[in-house]
Amino acid sequence: MRRIAALAALGAAVTFGAMAPAQAQQTTLRVGIASADAGVLDPHLNSSTPGRGFLQWIFNGLVRIKPGELSPEFMEADLAERWESSADGKTWTFHLRQGVQCHGGFGEFTAEDAVFSLNRAATRDTSSFSSDYVAFDRVEAVDRYTVRITLKENIPSLLGAVMNYAGGFQVCKAAVEQLGNEGFRRRPIGTGPFAFAEYVPQQYGRLVANDQYFRGKPQIREVMYRFIPSDAARDLAFQAGELDMIYGRQDQTWFTRTQQLPNVRVIAMQPAEMSVIHLNMTMPPLDDIRVRQAIAHAINRDQIVQLRGPNTSVTALSVVPRGYLGHNPNAPLLPPDIARARALLAEAGHPNGITIRAIHTTLPGMMSVMEGIQAQLRRAGITLEITPVEHATFHQQIRQNLSQVVHFQAARFPVADVYLTQFFHSRSIVGTPTAVTNFSHCRVADAEIDAARGETDRDRAIALWRTAQDKIVREVCAVPVYEQMQLWAYRTNLDLGYELKASLNLAPPLLETTRFTR
Amino acid sequence: MTAFVVRRLGFAVITLWAVLTLVFFIVRVVPGDPAQVVLGDQATADAIAAMRVRLGLDRPLAVQYFEFLWGALRGDWGTSLVTGRPVLLEVTEVLPWTIELTLAALLIGAVIGIPLGVWAAVNRNRIPDYVTRLASLLGLSFPAFVSGILLLIVFSIQLRWFPVISAQSDSVWAWLRSLALPAFNLGLIMAAYITRVARSAMLEVLSEDFVRTARAKGVPWRAVVWRHALRNALIPVITIVGLYLGVLIGNSVLTEIVFNRPGLGKLIVGALNQRDYTMLQGMMVIYTLVVIVVNLLTDLAYGAADPRVKLK
Repeated sequence: MRRIAALAALGAAVTFGAMAPAQAQQTTLRVGIASADAGVLDPHLNSSTPGRGFLQWIFNGLVRIKPGELSPEFMEADLAERWESSADGKTWTFHLRQGVQCHGGFGEFTAEDAVFSLNRAATRDTSSFSSDYVAFDRVEAVDRYTVRITLKENIPSLLGAVMNYAGGFQVCKAAVEQLGNEGFRRRPIGTGPFAFAEYVPQQYGRLVANDQYFRGKPQIREVMYRFIPSDAARDLAFQAGELDMIYGRQDQTWFTRTQQLPNVRVIAMQPAEMSVIHLNMTMPPLDDIRVRQAIAHAINRDQIVQLRGPNTSVTALSVVPRGYLGHNPNAPLLPPDIARARALLAEAGHPNGITIRAIHTTLPGMMSVMEGIQAQLRRAGITLEITPVEHATFHQQIRQNLSQVVHFQAARFPVADVYLTQFFHSRSIVGTPTAVTNFSHCRVADAEIDAARGETDRDRAIALWRTAQDKIVREVCAVPVYEQMQLWAYRTNLDLGYELKASLNLAPPLLETTRFTR
Repeated sequence: MTAFVVRRLGFAVITLWAVLTLVFFIVRVVPGDPAQVVLGDQATADAIAAMRVRLGLDRPLAVQYFEFLWGALRGDWGTSLVTGRPVLLEVTEVLPWTIELTLAALLIGAVIGIPLGVWAAVNRNRIPDYVTRLASLLGLSFPAFVSGILLLIVFSIQLRWFPVISAQSDSVWAWLRSLALPAFNLGLIMAAYITRVARSAMLEVLSEDFVRTARAKGVPWRAVVWRHALRNALIPVITIVGLYLGVLIGNSVLTEIVFNRPGLGKLIVGALNQRDYTMLQGMMVIYTLVVIVVNLLTDLAYGAADPRVKLK
């Protein structure tokens, strides 16, 4: 009897002991990301989704887009309290906050750090984003808290180059100098709400609250950023309560199923990755505009969106995605019309149809779309032969100009100039030294793109970008298909502290006010 | 015995060199550019070229090859092209995870597989035999990622006995709980192999004269099976364990991904996707060493299992 009583007491102690911590306020946020690793932990080198998601919590920019928003119209102060530009738009002065501390005791963040950071972002050897800074003439520290940037020529969004995104992330000079670039990549030092604590390859990155954060002490005390490449395993861990927030599989089934889980919020946020079919205008038969028009008529965008799922994607309206400054919602896209497509092919001397070839990634999400397009083209007598290759091979071969048709999906900084320059300016044609991702060899809108870059009047720049889109669409350099939203799910007891509609870094920002409500 | 081990080690060095040379050239023949992977899809051709210089990929292949061999001789495997971390550090950080998973799976496989194989052989062409053969066939045909997901749904989601994220080592209890499901998942595959081999080996041994003699002398059936017959049937089982240990490490890739465990398998898949040449080379050294050591240990185990085997 005594043994039973003792066991009962032990059971009660264990039960209530176990319950006590469960009722305490949760302060550790556990995030699951679809990747085996975050890659190199340097904000100026890492352009991957898992890397950017993690690094954005460590680093600040001089300015930032209001958390949860996407448009540059919501630009607000970050490390800089205020800023001004000269009348010609070529000189920008930023006034920094005083007393901002770098993580790990690396001292105060001053103008010297900002100058160092921007110069580092502009250097080819230390930055993936150096091309974003070619218009920078010089960056100088006017005094301890004032930074001046002088441009060689106007650029569409100077603030975009100094915000908390890509090369705009501010690093601490003393940390880079003391640790070296290699050391810094293993121990990134910033000024953000969370400081780097630990990185275990293939498992997790761990951040701890930066109590000296200039906006206040973060309420979340620790962030566990777990690398879980298997969609099923990530979903199960979320369902089992081992994760509080997960990156979703980008399809409708996942969206619908996850939305049905209790106490879970599913978000389809911007920036959307736009899926575009680029047609290489230098390779026959695609050098004939009638053939390209036939392809455009054969592709039914609404059907592809139905295939992807209406909660996760929307029909593309132009070659620049929605929400980007300068997007043209009225671009003259050709409507689906199989009869017209066949007629155009016959007119171009191909009454029996044509065969075109695409090298394509094996990533299932993109491949299913390409197979859908293949079926649509077949109805118009166009045979699309797809050569599936592994993703890294795909990226190499499409840049070697080996594919007639390139299906590319991407999100960029939300100003039309970036998309137009990288995908449709002749400077970016693949196979050239300045190549980026102009797979179609399109060059019809160079004048408008260049003119808009130097334009100081915002409305005139927008008009030029819209004209550029009109020209590109009329020439059928590419066929925009759909915009794929970023899907995330998190528990309803997680209060992000803002309304999440978008995140340029593709993962929800964490603020000092982010907290668990119960 | 010593001469045998020395000779095998000599062969091991030659094998290692051959594998390293093959791997060095094969990973460079495969399309895909590590500089492109590091810089992402917005990098200009100029920036990619500069990164190739920084990573040393612009130098002649022969220079890269001899530098790599010289580094390997000195125990310097270089740094990962993608993360910038030393390859040796990355490998040694995950190696214990793979070793513990493989050994646990092997143990589970042996504990389940040997008795089942013996039971099936003793009950040849009866219901226990049919059931065992069917079960082992299922074990062989079931993909590791499917059985892994099923185990997670039942034991982690429904019953909540084990964690989904199997990479916890805060305490011995947490470690055991997180190891249990992945080890069981992988162990089932091993058990299926061992069961079939143990069954056929036992059937052969049970029909031999010395078994009949032992029975005629009045040795109890249980002792004949477990003491006399099983010991003689162990050699093929040891062979299969040695052979399949390499397979097990390969199979562990899927188990590591589904159960979110770190490990060599996951590391090598990541390195392949990212064209991380130095990491791939380092991983190959490890894999080759593992296979060589396991084969050597298998040969040595024959002697222990059967004193008639002489290692020359």
